[in-house]
Amino acid sequence: MIVWEIFKMALYALRVNRLRTSLTLLGIIIGVSSVITIISALEGLSQSIKSELDKLGPSTFIVTRFGIIMGHDAFMDALKRKPIKYEYLEAIEKGCQDCEKTAVRSFSQGEVKYGNRKLRHVFIAGGTANLIDIVDFEIGQGRFHTLEEDRTRSRVAFIGTTVAEELYPGMDPVGKSIKLNGVNYQVIGIARKQGSSLNEDADKIVFVPYSAFIRDIGDFWGSTNIFVKAVSVEKLSDAMDQTRVVLRSIRHVPYDKEDDFGILTADAVMAVFNDVTKYIRMGLIGISSIALIVGGIIIMNIMMVSVTERTREIGIRKSIGASQKNILLQFLFESLVLSLCGGIIGITIGVVLGNVLINLIKMNMTPSLFAIAVGLIISTGTGLFFGIYPAMKAARLQPVKALSYE
Amino acid sequence: MPLIETKNIWKTYEMGAAVVHALHDVSMTIEKGDYVAIMGPSGSGKSTLMNLVGCLDTPSQGEYFFNGKLVSRMDDDELATIRNKEIGFVFQTFNLMPRASALHNVELPLIYNGTPRHLREEKARKALSVVDLADRMNHRPNELSGGQRQRVAIARALVNEPSLILADEPTGNLDSKTGLEIMQLFSRLHGEGNTIIIVTHELEVATYADRVLHIRDGMIDRDEKVTAAQKVANGSNL
Repeated sequence: MIVWEIFKMALYALRVNRLRTSLTLLGIIIGVSSVITIISALEGLSQSIKSELDKLGPSTFIVTRFGIIMGHDAFMDALKRKPIKYEYLEAIEKGCQDCEKTAVRSFSQGEVKYGNRKLRHVFIAGGTANLIDIVDFEIGQGRFHTLEEDRTRSRVAFIGTTVAEELYPGMDPVGKSIKLNGVNYQVIGIARKQGSSLNEDADKIVFVPYSAFIRDIGDFWGSTNIFVKAVSVEKLSDAMDQTRVVLRSIRHVPYDKEDDFGILTADAVMAVFNDVTKYIRMGLIGISSIALIVGGIIIMNIMMVSVTERTREIGIRKSIGASQKNILLQFLFESLVLSLCGGIIGITIGVVLGNVLINLIKMNMTPSLFAIAVGLIISTGTGLFFGIYPAMKAARLQPVKALSYE
Repeated sequence: MPLIETKNIWKTYEMGAAVVHALHDVSMTIEKGDYVAIMGPSGSGKSTLMNLVGCLDTPSQGEYFFNGKLVSRMDDDELATIRNKEIGFVFQTFNLMPRASALHNVELPLIYNGTPRHLREEKARKALSVVDLADRMNHRPNELSGGQRQRVAIARALVNEPSLILADEPTGNLDSKTGLEIMQLFSRLHGEGNTIIIVTHELEVATYADRVLHIRDGMIDRDEKVTAAQKVANGSNL
């Protein structure tokens, strides 16, 4: 139980030297909280994007005109590409055995109105009837449009909760009219609330049949994408290959040229995101680590001063029988307690600040266990690393010299 | 078997190019139950001898046996154990922990040998009552007089029931009346069977002991018994 008694001595010394203790704590708190803020904010950002992408489902991919484009030249080239057309659906369904469902979606942004109420910057999309089966959308009330309505270009609309609340306060929107770009549609259903992500209100949406969208709003900038769901997750890459072959032939891409379209999966987008942000993340963590190192140096400095100041105390302890190990432990405990307490406070502040940051860009996040674990490990490590030298210095003091120290 | 036996010990310090022999081939024995004063002017090497005898330091050359154990070849941790269990130090400047109570100061040596808490407190209380401080146990050093502080230090030295009490100028920071009380306390402890070594430069203090080792220039100059007549002359005959 000597270790426990020595631990109590360390606590006592910290309690007695309040100012010294709080200054050291402050140093480590700043260090740990800055690292944790950055880590939890990055973690939250990543989580948010992932949950957004997960709406797509693991066996789904999207055929787009641009795909993921890196660099200005590639973008200028891609601008010359032909748009993705509704007509490809049939070819894909025929040529891709491992595709289960295919849908088309085009989108635009515009103003919606009901009576004298209006809402701007609404995401207006036209989709085929089975889009609802591919994209992770749940019906809260009413229904999505049917194949028949798509074929007959019916003016029916499926709206998000934000649109419902803003245009029809205290009313049941289903059956009411809604004006999109000056054309009257009839509301047939409301999506279940999704919440906001990445600063976008995912409920500020209107879905109409694709055919009606093309006629009334139009796909001016080639925003038509094809959504394909493979028969299973295992068959996803087969389905993607088959779709590629179909598209290359239908778009007359010569065998020695690259695809003039992009195929995206949730995983691929996530990978690109991670890749692009890798250096930013490393840089941020690196910069915040400087604060941590400074915190560590503060601990070391304070402990060195403390050892010098308490040389006589160390001499007394040695003269009454404290071993080198006893003294080492006492000082190491002091720096460990400092760094761990600082670490715990720093983690708390960091997680809170990280959440605030994330909330500023309207993403939801859970406290990151990873960040907490990292915080505990680095603060303990800092305490050990910067505490060991002063503690060793104390332990190795010669009793005679320590006792005669003035 | 003597309690302390040194055989031709030397302590040498190198100060730049110069080599200083603080102790010069010192051989002596001290028996259990002895009351010995080590006397000499400052710079004579008496403090160096005390540090070696107290296992705070090891000799450069020669052998030192404590209770039959060869101390001069021990490592730091073994020396720490000897200091903890076998030797009780009393210093001129008391060397108490300023922020701890008298009781806690006396408990400290027991902490380092792993004595369980309840036993620790019991032993510390007992040691404090031996030095007549039972009513000052919860006072801090700055709430005690010099004589009381030195008695706390003596209680701390006694608490592990050591083979040797080693006092370095124990009256040096006290007025003569309080110094007298402390010397009388040492005489009483000697009467109860403790072995005591006192390091001093004052003859009046040295005559409380039964034997005086005079140190000069790192050597034992004279080794003499204190006669009853000397004690009476100095008033150190209790």
